[in-house]
Amino acid sequence: MPSIDDVTNTPDELSDDDAAELFEEADLVQDMMGEVCPYPQVEAKKGLQRLEPGDLLVQETDHVPCTENVPRAVGDDAEAKVWRSGDATYRIYLQKQ
Amino acid sequence: MVLSTLLVAALVGTALGAFLQKGRFCFVNAFRDFFAYKDSRVTKGVLAATLLTMVFWGIAYQFGYYQTFWTPQWGFTGLVGGFIFGIGMTYAGGCASGTLYRAGEGYLQFWLTLLCMGIGYAAFTVAFPTLDSTYFAALTVGEGVSLFTVTSIPAGLLGVGVALVALLGYATLIGRASTTAAFAERADAAQLNLAAFRAPIVGLRQFARGTAAYARGLARAWRNPIAASKQPWDPRTAALGITAAAVLWFTQHSIVGVTGPESRWTGYLLSQVGVETNSFEYWGSVLFQGQGVDVTVDMVMIAFVIVGAFLAALWSGDFAVRVPKRRRLPNAVVGGLLMGTGSRLAPGCNIGNIYSGIAELSVHSFIAAVGIVAGVYVMTHWIYREVGCAI
Repeated sequence: MPSIDDVTNTPDELSDDDAAELFEEADLVQDMMGEVCPYPQVEAKKGLQRLEPGDLLVQETDHVPCTENVPRAVGDDAEAKVWRSGDATYRIYLQKQ
Repeated sequence: MVLSTLLVAALVGTALGAFLQKGRFCFVNAFRDFFAYKDSRVTKGVLAATLLTMVFWGIAYQFGYYQTFWTPQWGFTGLVGGFIFGIGMTYAGGCASGTLYRAGEGYLQFWLTLLCMGIGYAAFTVAFPTLDSTYFAALTVGEGVSLFTVTSIPAGLLGVGVALVALLGYATLIGRASTTAAFAERADAAQLNLAAFRAPIVGLRQFARGTAAYARGLARAWRNPIAASKQPWDPRTAALGITAAAVLWFTQHSIVGVTGPESRWTGYLLSQVGVETNSFEYWGSVLFQGQGVDVTVDMVMIAFVIVGAFLAALWSGDFAVRVPKRRRLPNAVVGGLLMGTGSRLAPGCNIGNIYSGIAELSVHSFIAAVGIVAGVYVMTHWIYREVGCAI
């Protein structure tokens, strides 16, 4: 069955406050500024392998496609949320399942 | 060049750049992510754009609204050059069109990729006389042709026919995936046969539902056009826009190419700093066809792709001057060189051969597309060697 994800394609977006609050709880932060596909995808998968279920991995990136590709790449391994700063930087929050 | 031609080139280029940026329409993404973790969003967009463009180009050709096709001689050069290009674009992280739109988004990394592609074009040009008598002479099989021009079937009908066959094949694939999943627990031979028979129907229903859901999403987006225009767009929306621009371009100029015009830019820019580019056989007689080294209309169009991507990125809050990590520089340098030389050895890039080439049913491009996809496959497996690929 096609789900609504087939149309929207984007993970849930976080508000500025929620993003700042959740960032404090991160167990692992990956600096992906200046990186391009597919390295953030590969690093996200490797990062999640090191974490325990429930842990939070945050990637900071300035690469637009990553906000969709990274959540897709980790699939069911993590629940993904995205924060868009509005000036071309993004954070991807991945909670390991 | 007359003003109306320039305006069309500017319009088509700006539209292509904007739709590429908004849909993140990247051929590396389309194939790499499909191989790595079966993500087919962009793959669907690429397929939709190619098939739709094929249908409309076929119709335009049938009624005489066209200028020229691009049909290089076919042979094993497509496999070799395509493979090198596929390796290069996967390593660089952006195809010929992806590099252009990211240059417009402000990525210094992809400006470096463009520069290295230029070095690749120039190196090929210097080696061309030798390559022509060895590599091309040995690997070329026959004259290039577009199937639109050689069959007795009307071109419009042929385009629709091929698109329908492709759709049926796609429906069978997705239908089989879901029916075999449903029957996996009951390994009954008769049931499985029935499943195989029903696969295309199940797939077509899924396709219809998916398309309807997409149309509803599009209608919802229209209610809030300004907010929606700043969000990322579905690659299928980009596919529709790219098709419209490509059809306009086809009726006014030719098919859409990227690396050909870029090679001409390289020759033109070098001629501006005093290099006698016209005396090189490849620039003088092949690329500029003895007309002299000057700015041509397709070069204008390609430059406006960067402008279109810049405007779209600025509007969406995605523009920034992005400084690459130092460890990513080899990707830009090596990837750019491989794309530059690979696209000349094929000849053609992902746009010329996968998008335009298949849409114009060019025999050469069928072969080159196989080479490019094979290159992406091999390179994806190398990049994902530590975490593994799905396919």
